[in-house]
Parts: sequence; C-alpha cells; structure tokens
Amino acid sequence: MNQSTPFLGRFAWRTLLVLLYLFLLAPIIIVFIISFDTRQYLAFPPESYSFGSYAKVFANPTFISAFGRSLIIGLVVGLGAVAAGMLLSLSLARHEFRGKGSVNFLILAPFLVPHIVLAVGIMLVMAPIGLLDTYAGIIIAHLGITIPYTVRTIMMSLMSVDRRVEEAALVHGASPAMVFWRITLPLVSPGLIAGGVIAFLISFDEATISLFIVSVRTSTLPTEIFHYLEYSTDPQIAALSVILILISVGVVIAVERLIGLRRAL
Amino acid sequence: MVDHHVEIEQLVKTYPGAQKPSVDRVSFSLPRGEMLALLGPSGCGKTTILRMIAGLIAPTSGAIRIDGRDVSAIPVHKRNMGMVFQSYALFPHMTVARNVSFGLEMRKVGKTEIEERVKKALDLVKLTGLGERKVSQLSGGQQQRAAIARSLVIEPELLLLDEPLSNLDAKLRDEMRDEIREIQARTGVTAIFVTHDQDEALSMADRLAVMSNGRLEQIGTPREIFDRPQTDFVATFIGAGNFFSGKVREPGVAEVEGLGELRFSGEAPTGSSVKLMVRPHRLVLDGTGAAGVNRFSGTVEHIVYRGQTLTLTVRCGTQRLQADLPTHAGVLPEKGGEITLAVAPEDVTFIEKAAA
Amino acid sequence: MNPAARSADGSRRVLLMLLLPGLVALGVTFVLPLLWLFRASFASSAIGAFSGGDWTLSSYETVLTDPFYWLVAWNTLVLGFNVAVFTVILSYPIALFLARTESRWRGVLTALAVAPLLTSSVVRTYGWMVILGDQGVINSTLQALSLTDGVVRLTNNSFGATVALIEIFMPYAILAMLSGFGRLNTQLEEAAAMLGANRLKVFTRIILPLSLPGVLTAALLVFVLAISAFVTPRLMGGGRVFVLGTEVYNEATVTLNWPLAAALSVLLLVLFSSVIVIYQRALRALEA
Repeated sequence: MNQSTPFLGRFAWRTLLVLLYLFLLAPIIIVFIISFDTRQYLAFPPESYSFGSYAKVFANPTFISAFGRSLIIGLVVGLGAVAAGMLLSLSLARHEFRGKGSVNFLILAPFLVPHIVLAVGIMLVMAPIGLLDTYAGIIIAHLGITIPYTVRTIMMSLMSVDRRVEEAALVHGASPAMVFWRITLPLVSPGLIAGGVIAFLISFDEATISLFIVSVRTSTLPTEIFHYLEYSTDPQIAALSVILILISVGVVIAVERLIGLRRAL
Repeated sequence: MVDHHVEIEQLVKTYPGAQKPSVDRVSFSLPRGEMLALLGPSGCGKTTILRMIAGLIAPTSGAIRIDGRDVSAIPVHKRNMGMVFQSYALFPHMTVARNVSFGLEMRKVGKTEIEERVKKALDLVKLTGLGERKVSQLSGGQQQRAAIARSLVIEPELLLLDEPLSNLDAKLRDEMRDEIREIQARTGVTAIFVTHDQDEALSMADRLAVMSNGRLEQIGTPREIFDRPQTDFVATFIGAGNFFSGKVREPGVAEVEGLGELRFSGEAPTGSSVKLMVRPHRLVLDGTGAAGVNRFSGTVEHIVYRGQTLTLTVRCGTQRLQADLPTHAGVLPEKGGEITLAVAPEDVTFIEKAAA
Repeated sequence: MNPAARSADGSRRVLLMLLLPGLVALGVTFVLPLLWLFRASFASSAIGAFSGGDWTLSSYETVLTDPFYWLVAWNTLVLGFNVAVFTVILSYPIALFLARTESRWRGVLTALAVAPLLTSSVVRTYGWMVILGDQGVINSTLQALSLTDGVVRLTNNSFGATVALIEIFMPYAILAMLSGFGRLNTQLEEAAAMLGANRLKVFTRIILPLSLPGVLTAALLVFVLAISAFVTPRLMGGGRVFVLGTEVYNEATVTLNWPLAAALSVLLLVLFSSVIVIYQRALRALEA
C-alpha cells in the first residue's frame, strides 16, 4: 500500500508522531538542560552551562542521606518481594488447593486499589504499633505494592518451565529439594531478576505511600524532593533528577544486557 | 490473437537492501476462466507474485496486464480483485453477512441489491442461513467458505487465493479442494492460487507454474509437469523418480553407466550427455525374463508394503531402481529374489534443461 | 513435586509454608489497612491518632454536607475526565504506529515511549514545573518573542496539573492500548483494501472498531489513576487545586483529622469502583 500513500499524508503523519514523542519526553529533556544551569533560580534558557548544580547535590547532606536510605529500602524490598513472590508463585503454579482463586485475587487486588487509599489505610494500621517513620514500616508498605509485580513475572517464568524437565530429574534420582535448587531455580532466574529489579525501581521511585509513612527519620529521596519542590524549583533538583533517571536507565540496561527486557516484562 | 485475460510480463521484485530479486523476470499468461497454480517451496517468490498482482506490493519492474491494460499503477482498492487470504482475514467485529457485503458497501451498491447478492454468494458457498453468525462461531471450513464468498461477491476480475487449504485438516482439505474447483468452474472466474503442496496443485489447477528461487521453472498442464518435467528442479520437486545420467549413442537411445542401454522419448543430439527420469510407478514387472528393450534384471534389496502399492528397491548392475508395483499383480516379489523390471521408452523422460 | 504422589499432610504443610510469608505481607499491607480504614472512617474526629473507640457518622456527615467536598469531588471527576480523554487522544497515534510498524526501530521507539515510566512521577512533575512555571520555558519564550507582557499563568492551577498528568499517564495508556490491539492485523487491512476500501475507509471500518477495546481500557486505566493522583495535582496546583487526593493528604498529614481522611478515602474508593463497574457494563453492552 506504500506506493499509494500520498506524500503529504505521510509527512503529516510523521510530523504528528514526532510532536507527540517530543511532548512525551519534554519534561525529561528540559530537566536535563536545566540541570546544567549555573543560576540559583529557575529560568530558561540557561545563561551558561556547568556542573555546579551537580556539585551542590553531592554537597547536600539531606539528599545524600535520603539517597542512601532509598537505596537500602529498595534493595531490601527487592530481595523480600522476590522471596515472597517466589514462594507464592510456586504454591500457585505447582499446587492445587481450595481457596486458590481467593489467593490469586488477593495477589492482584492491590493493582485495583488506588495507592493513596492504601497509604491512608497503612498509615492508620501502623500508627498505633509505632511503625510510622521506621525502616520496618516503609519496607513492609513497599512489599505490599511490589509483591503483585514479582508474583506476575515469576509466575510467567514458572509457566514457561517444562514440568517434564523436573520430572526427568526426579526420575533420574534427584530429591524434590535437589530438583528445586538445581533445576527449577536456575530456570526461573530471569523472572526472579526481572521481578527484583521492578520491585527495586518501584520502591526507589515511590512517593505516594512513602509520603504518608515516612517523616524525618526515614525520609526517602522522592519524599525529600517532593517537600523541597513545595518551596523551591531551583536547578539543584534538576541535577538530582538527572542522576535518578540515569540510575533507573542504568539498572534497566543492565537487566536488558543480562536477560533481555522483553522476557523481564 | 489469443485471448489472454491476464498477462504477467518480465515481473521483477527486489526488496530494498536485498542481494538478489525475490521475483526474477517472471512471465506467464492466463486465458479467461482458467485456474492457475503457482507452486513452489516456501520463499520461492510465489506469494510475492500474488501480492504484486493484487496491488499489495509494487513491482520493481515489469507489467501486469488485465485484458491488455497495465494495472500496475492502479491502487489496490481500485483494482477489483478478490483475494482469499491464508488466514482468511475475516473481519472479526462483523457478522458473516457484513463481511460478505463489505466490498459491495465500498462500491456503494444499493441496499436491496446488496442483500440479494450476499444471499446468492452465501448460497454459492453453502453457507445459506449463516449470515448472522459471528465469524468466531464458524468452523475452519466455514470461515474458508465465507472468505471465498466475500471475494466473489464483488465479481472480481481475478480471484487470488493464498495457500487456501493450508489451515484445514486433511479430510476437510480434500472436500474444499473439490468445492473450490466447482465454485470456480460455476462462476467462470479466472483464478490464481499459491501453494507449496503438489497434490493440491495437480488436482485443482488447469495449469501449474512451478517456481524456484524467484524464477519460473516450467508452466504447463498437470500432466505435462508430471510426465515431462523440463528441469531438474521440477523433476525432483514433483513426485518421486529414478534419475540416470547417460550419453546419447543414437537418436532415442542412451548408454547409462552400470545399467546399459536406455531408450527414451524426446530429442537429444547424438553424443550429448543427458539426464533421464523414470517414475517408480512406470516400472512394471516383466515375468518372461527374456532380454529386450529397457528391461533390467536385478536383486530385490528392500520391500515396503504400502497397501495399494509395493515399493521395491532393486539393484540392477551398479544402479538402484525404485519401483512402485500394484499389490494385485499376482505373485509378489520377495526380498532377495531375482526379478526383471521393464519400462516403455515413452515413460523414460529426457529432462531438457537439466544441468549437465 | 506431584501433589498426588505425596502424603496429603506433608503437602499441606509445604503449601502453608510457601503461602504464609506472602500472604502475611499482603494481609498487613492490604487487607488490614482497608478494614481499618473503613473502621476509622466511622470514628469521631481525633487529632493525629486513631485506636478504635466509638462509632459515629460525623466524618461522612462533614463530607456530604460541606459544599467544599462536593466541589472537591466534582473537581476530581472533571480532572479525571479531561486527563483520560486527552491522554487517550495523544497516545492513540503512537500506540497505533507502534502496533503496525514493521520498522526495525520499532523496539527502540517502543522503549522510548514507555521509558518515562522509569522516572519517578515527582521528577516528571518537576519537569513540567520547569516548562510551565512563571519563569519557565514557555513563559520565557513568549516574553523573548514579545508575545506577552506579563506572565501567563500555566501552573498553580488545574491546567498545569492536567497537562502534567496527561504526559505522566501516556506511557500507561500506550501500553494498555498495545496489549488491547491484539485483533489488529495488517492482513485485515489488506483484505479491506482488496475489497475496495480506501485509506479512510480502512481506518473507520477496520482499524478504529478493532482498536476500540484497547482504547477503552486505556481510558479507564488513566481515569482511575488520575482521580487518585495527588503528588502531581499538589505540586502543579501549588495548593490551589483541590481534588480528593490532595484533600486526603491534607487531612492525613497537615490537619491530622484521620477519620476525615479515612472517610474521603472511602469516598474515593466508591468513586473508583463505580467507574470500573460502569465501564464493565458499557463494555458488555458494546459487545452484545
């Protein structure tokens, strides 16, 4: 059909697509440019370019310590969500039991409830038992919203494992535990890694629930940025944003290199 | 002047970035009402030809003429050709009747006429009364029929079918084979279909165009293609065969090493090297045991019983012959036994364009 | 591993061990909070604390009788509607292009379209503050070109919040559409063209109807995400945009009226569920 496409229509279509992509990527592009501005306040276009804002970010103890906390929380959440997700997926993929439907629903349900509603509920539960503004509190809250994702990716990996491979190992004399460690686990490792990375990224970028749970002691980077932005929009935040974007992109590229993103998602 | 309804001339398609053309200088023509099969292995360019005729892709060069008029520049939606896709490509969000009426709606045909013609088309393909069904409620064979009705209702210049039977199971395939043939004969529409299945091509088509590597190898009636293959490719692609290399000693007689004298039909210059072919079912059991023209004695090495036929591998001299014998032919040979096989010179084919 | 091959008792114990950690985590972060939220919404107002006690309808009374909260609910619906409509309109061409193209750049372009998901919504909201702010990209450009004298107010109002939310939700919409475009295929378009349909007819009669389910799913997804958003409305609105999300946050962390925050959350949940129910009804009606 290509030869019958009028040139003008094709040109208009391409232009439209380019404009839409520009709109979609505009904030990221602009943040990138602003991050090199030398001035103290927000203005466009930058007068001159430097790494001054980046230097300020690295000299800002609030951001540095929040970054460290976000990293720790993200790593613990990633590992925990993968472990819990693996156990849940195994029981769902390999066992038949009464109430399986309810468990399935329960795992998907957090997708169906707005995070802000969950946030208020978690805050109300955690307040009386002193979990607000603690590492345990924020980690548990993030586990709740990331486990559904890890279950999904791990289930997909498990489904693609041929049961007969496991049966063959059993027939050849491996104990069930051995089969799990030597056969099943290596075969689903792409799903485990993908699930862990997704859980880490969600936790690392999450703001809504964190804002209800953390305060001074365990504030994460997104909550610090949120509070900073309520009063100021200077280029320091742009530099910090670029660093965050690069971390996320770096993690994803590493996963893509390791196992292929398509399999991960 | 012969009435050529469809004429393909020196058609070439080279995809951008490709080393060699997918379709290379292919020419053929069809008289009105003929059914032509484009036969060849996958990737031979047959589907590309079909899609160029349809207007779905543009040829690199060459002409496609309908009634003498070049249609290459006409956009696909104005070409007025019917096409039955391999996957049928029925519109899943429409009923069967709406699928069939789609082409008529595009042609702004009146409502009452649409109803009439849709009903007639559905009757033709034996889907009477199923017009209000959803596409997903039809069986594979019924979907095939609906796709045919949809492309015939617009009274196309030419009906194109892309691997029409490949999505059906074996039993349904035989049924639809006859059915398509009958519908085509009844409507008199000129048709071209693409297939990789030689049985399908031999049994459905008036003529076959055999393709390989983008080139047209041979075009002819099923009989010509089967009994008189002109190239190595056609001879090996269609049916089984015993192949011999020989030297022509005198007109119609070749000397085959390890076998002896083989008389054949066709004209080859004396002294030239030739390639000859004998179909296994053309070899017959010769009970007399006497020497004569094209008779070869040997030991039965292997027997496969196939119900209606018996496939023998017979060692004659240094050659091995494969023979399909009918199982009702009296006393059957046994493994290790000595037998004599004979073949009439008319059944020994000289492959004209074989690579020497 | 075959359950039948084992004693039922041992298998049950294993199963329990497998299920327990995950279910406890989900129970603590999902089931319990929702129940507790519901209970808290019926408690009498207490500042910054809730630990059971009496039952009262006073929070709901406040929500339902105060015209401010009616305005908030209305604002929320309007924001959700606008964001959903424009996000779908702007995402549709991209999704359609990605679903149909045979370009070898397809993978890269798909990644580019969903890459913004990797960026915190706080960061992307900041990007829009930079673009639309009083000294931002657009205002600077307009003033440099002498098109305006003063500042054109693009932030601290619902316009800014709407624009930022549209962009933030576009990757979700594109993904939802792509997975909903399963019935689109080029052969159907070719078949229609062979039957005499020109490009416009192929679009209106084949592509549009076949992509409609994906479009509706995307619209629903964006709508429910938009009505529960609070980070972007809060930052882009500069405290002048009042939607359910911002009010819930306000009551929970500033005013510290937790029963009221709970009641507003329940209201949001009700709104949320009714939209989903209406959507499913509509979809069923569409299919019938």
